[in-house]
Amino acid sequence: MFLEIKDLSVKIENKNILKSLNLNINKGEVHAIMGPNGSGKSTLANVLAGKEDYEILNGRINFKDNNLFDLNIEERAQEGMFLAFQYPVEIPGVNITPFLHSAINSKRKRMSEEEIDNLSFAKLLKSKASDLGINIDMLKRSVNTGFSGGEKKRYEILQMSILNPDLAILDETDSGLDIDALKIVTDGVNKLKTKDNSFLIITHYQKLLDYIKPDYVHVMVNGSIVKSGGYEIAAEIEKDGFQKFQ
Amino acid sequence: MNSETLNTLNSYSKNKYKYGFVTEIDDEKPKKGLNEDTIKFISLKKNEPEWMLDWRLKAYSKWKKMKEPKWANLSFPEIDYQDIYYYSAPKGFEKKPKDLSEVDPKLIETYNKLGIPLEEQKVLAGVAVDVVFDSVSVATTYKGELEKLGIIFCSIGEAIQKHPDLIKKYLGSVIPPGDHSFSALNSAVFTDGSFVYIPESVKCPMELSTYFRINAENTGQFERTLIIADKGSYVSYLEGCTAPKRDDNQLHAANVELIALEDAEIKYSTVQNWYPGDEDGKGGIYNFVTKRGLCAGKNSKISWTQVETGSAITWKYPSCILKGDNSIGEFYSVAITNNFQQADTGTKMTHIGKNTKSKIISKGISLGKSQNTYRGEVSFLRKADKARNYTQCDSLLVGNQCGAHTVPYIDSKNNSAVIEHEASTSKINEDQLYYCRQRGLSHEEAVSLIVNGFCKQVLQELPMEFAVEAQKLVSISLEGSVG
Amino acid sequence: MNIQDNYLKNKKNIFFSENKDIQTHREKLINIFENDRFDKKNNESLKNINLKNFIDFNYKYLIPEETSVINNNHENSYSIVSVNGQCSSFKDDKIEITKILDEDYNDFSKNDTIENNDHFVNLNSLFLNSGFKIVIKKNNNIKIRISNIITDDDLTIFQKNNYICEDGSSLNLIEEYENKNNSTSNILNVIKLEKNSQINHFLIQDNSPNHNLIITTHSSCKKDSTYIQKVYNFSEGYVRNFHYSELIEANSEADLQGIFFLKDNNTSNNKTFVKHLAEDCKSNQVYKGILKDRSKATYFSNTHVDQVAQKTEGYQLSKGILLSDNASYFSKPELKIYADDVKCSHGSTIGPIDENAIFYLRSRGMSKIAATKILISSFINEELNSIDNEQMSEIIQKKLVRYLSKVK
Ligand SMILES: Nc1ncnc2c1ncn2[C@@H]1O[C@H](COP(=O)(O)OP(=O)(O)O)[C@@H](O)[C@H]1O
Ligand SMILES: [Mg+2]
Repeated sequence: MFLEIKDLSVKIENKNILKSLNLNINKGEVHAIMGPNGSGKSTLANVLAGKEDYEILNGRINFKDNNLFDLNIEERAQEGMFLAFQYPVEIPGVNITPFLHSAINSKRKRMSEEEIDNLSFAKLLKSKASDLGINIDMLKRSVNTGFSGGEKKRYEILQMSILNPDLAILDETDSGLDIDALKIVTDGVNKLKTKDNSFLIITHYQKLLDYIKPDYVHVMVNGSIVKSGGYEIAAEIEKDGFQKFQ
Repeated sequence: MNSETLNTLNSYSKNKYKYGFVTEIDDEKPKKGLNEDTIKFISLKKNEPEWMLDWRLKAYSKWKKMKEPKWANLSFPEIDYQDIYYYSAPKGFEKKPKDLSEVDPKLIETYNKLGIPLEEQKVLAGVAVDVVFDSVSVATTYKGELEKLGIIFCSIGEAIQKHPDLIKKYLGSVIPPGDHSFSALNSAVFTDGSFVYIPESVKCPMELSTYFRINAENTGQFERTLIIADKGSYVSYLEGCTAPKRDDNQLHAANVELIALEDAEIKYSTVQNWYPGDEDGKGGIYNFVTKRGLCAGKNSKISWTQVETGSAITWKYPSCILKGDNSIGEFYSVAITNNFQQADTGTKMTHIGKNTKSKIISKGISLGKSQNTYRGEVSFLRKADKARNYTQCDSLLVGNQCGAHTVPYIDSKNNSAVIEHEASTSKINEDQLYYCRQRGLSHEEAVSLIVNGFCKQVLQELPMEFAVEAQKLVSISLEGSVG
Repeated sequence: MNIQDNYLKNKKNIFFSENKDIQTHREKLINIFENDRFDKKNNESLKNINLKNFIDFNYKYLIPEETSVINNNHENSYSIVSVNGQCSSFKDDKIEITKILDEDYNDFSKNDTIENNDHFVNLNSLFLNSGFKIVIKKNNNIKIRISNIITDDDLTIFQKNNYICEDGSSLNLIEEYENKNNSTSNILNVIKLEKNSQINHFLIQDNSPNHNLIITTHSSCKKDSTYIQKVYNFSEGYVRNFHYSELIEANSEADLQGIFFLKDNNTSNNKTFVKHLAEDCKSNQVYKGILKDRSKATYFSNTHVDQVAQKTEGYQLSKGILLSDNASYFSKPELKIYADDVKCSHGSTIGPIDENAIFYLRSRGMSKIAATKILISSFINEELNSIDNEQMSEIIQKKLVRYLSKVK
């Protein structure tokens, strides 16, 4: 099994957020999680990425034959886990290019691969950026600083395509995007998709799933997955909302 | 704070000072202590004219009546001025060597280790360097090329001999010897330092740089630098400093005076990396520095940039007196303190002329058990119509045993002048750390990256050649051991 | 007359002169004065003060003939007329008003929030001749309005008031200082907020040119309590507003705000100081000043965050508008921070009225004076709008109009 979440219960500040959650993802699969606001979708994404504020009450997570809880944030990232944040943080003064360059090299180091030099990296970055319709000028700016909502999301996808993760978690990457931007973002995902990597796509709306066809759709309500199935569930939700799952 | 953050912080405090070696070299010193004989000894060694000795003695008699300024947020034991050597020169430096073949190879080796090669074939491209070892200037590179443009770049000792008119006119004109006890002390016993004169309309084509090294034990370093930019000229000057690791505290009390005449611009950058003492707060340099620039002429500009990572104690306020109409003063500062370091640094912008402008960007980072204070004064005098100041000072706290303090004094006596001041203090943003680590950067790398980003506004003001160095220095100041 | 002679001569009129401990302490204070001699150079809080009035004064105090009045006009609402700093005793099931006693004497010379050298606090301790103590009993919700009346010229009032808000109580306190004689009041308020209590403290200051007012507050906040202070200084005489707050238990809050309007040769010295000594506390220090003619003001603000005071939020703002070439404003917004998990900031702007805004308003047909007045009002808009007491809002508006009528 590629990613296996078993009986996961998570608490933050005396509040139980995730409750006995189960989820399995195999290599090459695209999973979507849909759920109302506050149901715990971002919490799940953050727990997977290793954010430290949460208290794990119960359960386990295996990722690529590792007990995920044995790895810290950066080790998970270096092992191929990528989280496109719902709200990417601004880091003033830190230039995008060297930032991503260090990121890719720390991953390569862990994989005992050769580090990529300045020049080849700059080339790689430029070509990926133009694929995603990102202006080269943007690469001179500081990480997320002063970016519009849409720019931030596009920049998350750029990082994803550079780091080429085994498991990419997209937390509401579609929200705040207009149709053109949505197209660019989903193209990015579809290009990256192979039989060896997997996606966990968190979304509110069916729209995104029209562009990235998921193999499975899960409905999350109140910290648990209440229903799983195929693409048809998304259509159901689009029509009737989450009401009937609650 | 989580345990991981704590581990990273602990490793930071084990920071190694890589410039801490001592050069074994014979040196020549007068008796310890400060009295008229010491001053006469220095003056004699420097072969100074009578008027210079008189000037020193006058300053000394002022000093005797003065007390150290005590308002800074610093605590340190009483300085025993009688337990310090006021002059130390490597043997054989009665006269400054004509070329490097006359310089002790050990010295050249020292500077190679410090990354400042002196040999012709290796000199730093585009940077002319004056090198001061303890009390004397040992070498000045690119001298000939500068002379062709009429630029004078030499040790202050040499300038006293060769350019007495300029010295008489300007020395002490910005920092009067009686200003406070450290300026009086420096005026009495200053040993060496640099002198720069840029003639009218000349744009100095390369960075001028002085490198200060304290080597001898129990020795104070009292350098004096004087830079004069004549009408319409431009110069960029950079100062670097290191000292060996010693368990005793050593005193450094420099005075730097800048004068910018009409339409002239002086850019003065400092990368201060004196020995900060060890993890237990033992040893390190006491750095009491007075730096002041006078924008004497219309449309002149003086810009101070400093990266302060060293010294056990830093007491330093590079200032601008904005006298000429439309003149501009700038101050960009990064101060990082770790372990038991204490820094009280900032600036003073005095707006006298009309339409004068000043800008202050200060970034303080405190780690370990250190105390880091920004202290700044912006004043608009009555005649400073339409003067403007913008001040931004931000402090970052890394760890919960250190202190970050902001003490701005804002004084306006003119109703058309505008002062804007912003300051903030916070810890390193956990969300930023999380974001960087999610991309695979280690905790330590992430901290270093974020801190460098925090300092960017200042670092980008440094001359290109040094910006990269400074960035590394910032990382080193944060990091654990550095090979 | 010098301080020592003054004290010795008038000792019998001064509170607690028989108490040995207090006597010893006062002798120490005299020594401090002797040694320091009000050294202006090393004590920035003395900047711009005409010290002669305060060191070399003629001590004079009159015990009021007409006693003060306490009215319980509405339920939970009291009005007090304090005469020469005195107030008669009163008691019901909600509040208790008494004279201050020996035990209420504080040794502030050793308090490190109020700096050692706050000579005016020391003078208050030395010459104490009036004052009262008000206790708000548990879980009561009270309004008090105090008019501070001084009956004669040349009086030197040294007054100390203690306020205690017991657990769960709240106090809405309006104090008015409107005196037209040549007296000097030196008032020290010591305010204790017990758990979960709240005080909204308004000070309206509007004295005549020769009346000096020195007012110092020391408030301390226990768990979940909130102290809000708003100072409105329209005085034509000297006013010194120094207000210190200590947040001594978790989740407490101090909000110290002030606006001042100066003209002619008047001076005002202002200081706020919040010391965070516990976790999860908030503080706010905001002063705004408008200065015309030859007036001068200083404002010192200080947020001190102790090592234990994690999760502190502290904000400071200092703003000044100079309406004349000869006015001056000195501001020193200080942060002293020893804890790392904090969010503290300060902002400060000093300058003229925005010329672009004036231009804009004039292009809409407004006269320059009208435009200036509008912009001054908008400068303090927030402060004015936040007054939720209609009667008070009216009083303040009137005083503002009076000040603005002199703006040219
Ligand atoms: N740091 C936190 N502290 C307290 N509650 C939190 C925190 N983060 C999230 N929550 C709460 O957890 C619940 C789930 O949040 P989240 O995972 O962001 O939901 P979703 O992404 O599905 O909208 C919400 O009720 C939210 O308020
Ligand atoms: Mg979410």
